[in-house]
Amino acid sequence: MNGNGCGRYVYCVVRANERLSLGNIGLDGNEVYTLSYGGLGAVVHNCSKAPYSSDSEEVVRGWVIKHQQVVKAAQDWSGTVLPMRFSTIIQDTDKESADGNVLRWLADEGNEINKKLDRLQGTEEYGVQIFWEPKVIAGMLSITHPEIARLQAEIEPKTEGLAYMYKQRLERLLRQEVEREAERYFKDFYHIIKENVAELKIDGIKRDGDKQMLMNLSCLITAGGTKPLSDELQKIESIDGFSVRFTGPWPPYSFVMG
Amino acid sequence: MEPTRELHGTISDLLDRVLDKGLIINADIIITLSGIPLIAISLSAAIAGLETMLEYGLMTDQDVNTRVRDRKLAKERVALQMCN
Repeated sequence: MNGNGCGRYVYCVVRANERLSLGNIGLDGNEVYTLSYGGLGAVVHNCSKAPYSSDSEEVVRGWVIKHQQVVKAAQDWSGTVLPMRFSTIIQDTDKESADGNVLRWLADEGNEINKKLDRLQGTEEYGVQIFWEPKVIAGMLSITHPEIARLQAEIEPKTEGLAYMYKQRLERLLRQEVEREAERYFKDFYHIIKENVAELKIDGIKRDGDKQMLMNLSCLITAGGTKPLSDELQKIESIDGFSVRFTGPWPPYSFVMG
Repeated sequence: MEPTRELHGTISDLLDRVLDKGLIINADIIITLSGIPLIAISLSAAIAGLETMLEYGLMTDQDVNTRVRDRKLAKERVALQMCN
């Protein structure tokens, strides 16, 4: 059966004991409610068996925002929440209805799910991105690094051909040393941040306009305990050539697997 | 430094989380997700040395794949910056 209602779009899992409605806050205005088993509730809406897929970035964005709003509503109501990935749809199979499959999943995975909920209780996820300007770092190296400073001084009075060769050499050296500095800063910042959070994950570097990203982290922090981290981030922000982007709190998307 | 919660300014952070993270179910009861367009995320340079990160035990396998991908652009990007 492929008609409407044979799928259950799962937003997240919470601790719950009965069927509770969160209202028509779901994707496409669907009613969101909990399907519970063994003290665990899957927060779902009834959907067809087609994945939520669109060519339009705008449409996907709208869906994703709705997904997050439902997860947040569930979190506000219930406390700890395990957020699902977008478009996780449990379907009916030959042997079982969609509802049945949801309940069986909760039963089979109950232990693991409870362990994760216990672990994440009382925590919040935050995103930390650190940006830097290699030119500023290169500028500093021109002063502090003896060979770079020397090369720069020596280019000046040279003839065109020789100056070109010196410039090539200088650029190579600058690239190498700037890269070394990046490593050093990465390690230092990583250790500082690690000491001020409960857990952290390294995410992929992304482009953000013109800004160059040095590191992209997801951090798990005890609720209400962001001050130590935010103090350190403030210090990093005030270093010449560095800036910090601090987002959150998020439901613990980055910490539900593994 | 206060964390940003405002949705408009954090939409790409949200997309990263909801599309690529969160709990997944590996079973035949799941509809396979297909056709979600990858929101184009151009990778900027990851300058920090991959070797150092591994040596430091700072990376998981997933992290390694991510870093290897980032690393490919690293040198060209720095070179571009230097020339401007």
